[in-house]
Amino acid sequence: MLRRLLFVVLLVVGCRPSDRQTVRPSDRIVSLLPSFTELLFAIGAGDRVVGRTQWCDYPPAALSVPSVGDGLPPNVEAVMARQPDLVVLYNAGPNVTAAKQLERAGIQTVLIDLNRLEDLGPAARTLGRLTGRQEQAESLAIVLDSLAGRLPPPSTTSLAFVVWDNPPIIIGHGSYLDQLATQAGARNVFGDVAAPSAQVSLETIVARDPQWIAVLADSAVPPAFAKRREWRAVRAVREGHFLLLPGSLFGRPGPRSGQAIRELRERLEYDDVGAQHAAPLHRGPHR
Amino acid sequence: MKWIILGAVVVIALVLSVVLGPAAVPLGELLHSDIVWSLRAPRALLAFLVGGSLGVAGAGLQALVRNPLADPFLLGLSGGAGLGAVLAIALHLPGPWALPIAAFIGALAALGLVYRLGLIGGASLDPRILLLGGVAIGAFAAAITTAIVSLADAAELRNAFLWLWGGLSGASWDSVLLVALYAPIPLAVLFAASRPLDLLALGEESASYLGADVEKVKRRVYLAASLLTAAAVAVSGVIGFVGLVVPHIARLTWGHRHRSLLPAAFLGGGALLAFADTLARTVVAPRELPVGVVTALIGVPVFAFLLKRWTI
Amino acid sequence: MTPLLRLQDVHYRYPGATSEALQGVSLAIAPKEFHAVLGPNGSGKTTLVRIALGAVSPLVGRADVDRRSASTWPRQDLAKLVGVVPQREDNLFPQRVRETVLLGRYPHLSLWGRERAADHDAVDRALAACDALHLADRWLWTLSGGEYQRVRVARALAQEPKLLVLDEPGMSLDLKHEMGLFELVLGLVHEQGLGVLMITHDLNLAARFADSLLLLEGGRPVAAGPPNDVLTQETVEKVFSWPVAMQTVDGRPQMVPLRQPKESRA
Repeated sequence: MLRRLLFVVLLVVGCRPSDRQTVRPSDRIVSLLPSFTELLFAIGAGDRVVGRTQWCDYPPAALSVPSVGDGLPPNVEAVMARQPDLVVLYNAGPNVTAAKQLERAGIQTVLIDLNRLEDLGPAARTLGRLTGRQEQAESLAIVLDSLAGRLPPPSTTSLAFVVWDNPPIIIGHGSYLDQLATQAGARNVFGDVAAPSAQVSLETIVARDPQWIAVLADSAVPPAFAKRREWRAVRAVREGHFLLLPGSLFGRPGPRSGQAIRELRERLEYDDVGAQHAAPLHRGPHR
Repeated sequence: MKWIILGAVVVIALVLSVVLGPAAVPLGELLHSDIVWSLRAPRALLAFLVGGSLGVAGAGLQALVRNPLADPFLLGLSGGAGLGAVLAIALHLPGPWALPIAAFIGALAALGLVYRLGLIGGASLDPRILLLGGVAIGAFAAAITTAIVSLADAAELRNAFLWLWGGLSGASWDSVLLVALYAPIPLAVLFAASRPLDLLALGEESASYLGADVEKVKRRVYLAASLLTAAAVAVSGVIGFVGLVVPHIARLTWGHRHRSLLPAAFLGGGALLAFADTLARTVVAPRELPVGVVTALIGVPVFAFLLKRWTI
Repeated sequence: MTPLLRLQDVHYRYPGATSEALQGVSLAIAPKEFHAVLGPNGSGKTTLVRIALGAVSPLVGRADVDRRSASTWPRQDLAKLVGVVPQREDNLFPQRVRETVLLGRYPHLSLWGRERAADHDAVDRALAACDALHLADRWLWTLSGGEYQRVRVARALAQEPKLLVLDEPGMSLDLKHEMGLFELVLGLVHEQGLGVLMITHDLNLAARFADSLLLLEGGRPVAAGPPNDVLTQETVEKVFSWPVAMQTVDGRPQMVPLRQPKESRA
């Protein structure tokens, strides 16, 4: 187990000199991704988080931690003002630069990949090691690993995640949302698009005819494009079959991913039945 | 003869853009298909109208600012439209048409500012200042846009840029009808200015001695070309190279006389954009390329070829 | 005969300028008259053309074309009366000789109408009058300087004007082409009855061809009238600040600039 842990750390974090010196658990942490903040609180290290992004809204206790801005890219000065001994960043372009700047200022940084369900367990373990909460992290990681390793249920319905309407941008294969849909028993009609997100033609959405249009939205009203004439060529749009998913729960991989999958499945089943009962005359034939 | 060929090219481009698409529609069902009627047909027509408008606006502006490198979007309109779109998102303006209307108003505001700058030297509209003012206003609007996007909270603001470069995805019969009703007015103004535009190529002084009312012509051409471009950006975002390259290709075949050049630029621009959009929808299906990428991929080699010809 | 162009005691000052560009200039050109305006650089020749063509209005005095104030003419109507060969012009896009001469028909065309046979005939006549018919299908950029000037005169003739205005048409032409151009213009005066206003710095050619000269200095008319009255040694030396000798060729005065005596060279 220790060897596996070491392997993951090396794989994820890379071989920078600072990593080898991490013996003492950090106690002033700035988390620059909502998922990391959630994971840190979940493994009981929430009291050591001294900085977060403005997007880190869960758990509610996180809101009392000072924000260092939107983190896209990180405001290095605002981060340093929190006097952290550890900064956790999502492993992507601008963050790498920011991490280097923080390292030069003598602050330990960790860049962690977190794009898919299977990244969650390793991320939890890395954070556990860095905070000295290995045991809690390990028990959480086992749950998260089982989520990722679970055989998805047979799909009973289909959906398309629409990220933006003009041009239409959808979620493809290999993304967290795609996994979420699959695990909830819905087939992503753009599961064959080998990119996390991609621009497609509206007619492709019409042709693939998803039963649901899933949109990350905090409001309960269908998005503005639902009223646009060209979008009404999509059956699910005509029929008002929108899944409006709050971004805080559904938009990010984290300790609540299992809850997100459960809720998505419930909504697919409940809304499907509810819609059929509520307006049976306006429904097209199901495939 | 060349008109017949151009007409054939237009028909082929339109037919292809209705027949071809990422979704497989059997030829026999073409006329009954919902995809064809509610998506492909309006999109093909919108591409044709927008491409034609950009071609004519480009030809007119090139003659007006006396610079063969002038593009309709050079005169600050894309910056203004982008600012309008970002504001629409930032202010949460409701309704499915909020973005296009805000972008149109933004483009009009930029147009007005650039026009006012062009008059800075007195009553005479100075095309050089139009060009410089257009670039400056465009950069200024883009700077404000970027500031809003980076300071505001909503992550969706970044999508305004997607929208601005979105191409023809938003095509519907509504937008086709809108453009079909709107565009003929500025187009007619530009066509009516054909002969004075010929004269303008000789310089303003010579043009007025040959009987052109230079000031009136400059104002009309600038306003009409900009209004066309503003409408184009509102329904289809910024689509580059059509307004730059099409007038030059038309000039190679039809000569510089605007009476035939402008109609040729309209048909050619329409055909080019319809064709480019067909490629954008089909070559990487089910994914889609931004249509501006395709027009640039077609336009830049043609343009390089033209530049080579010019320098000989 | 009513003059085609009449300037009466014209004064003009450019906005922001401290001195007047024209001070009390008068001129009247009737059909079949060849007038030349002479003067050193900055003497107001180009301003005079602008006033005459209504591009600017005189502050004092009048500038009338065909008895109507020049600046109140609609440009299109004025272009039917006055054809101009400007000193400089651009060629933004490549065009052929016949195309550029056809531009001269613009004032005669309606907004949407096509050029008719009459227009093409006028183009042919103008090209023939300028001995340029054989150039009709050439590209402008392939012409020599002399051919190009003849084509530009042809374009002004295609306007079928009554008055022809030429601004320094002989610039950068060699002897043969310059003489050819002046002979052409004089021929138009005699054969087509045009009135001509020519701006030039070439005293000798003006004196050989024009019926009447107007000599400007610093915006003021120094002398006006037949060449023999205007181009006296005293006047020319004063206006051009250089010693000259005057001779007579074919009854017209000709000026020969003298070497400056050594002791007066600075």
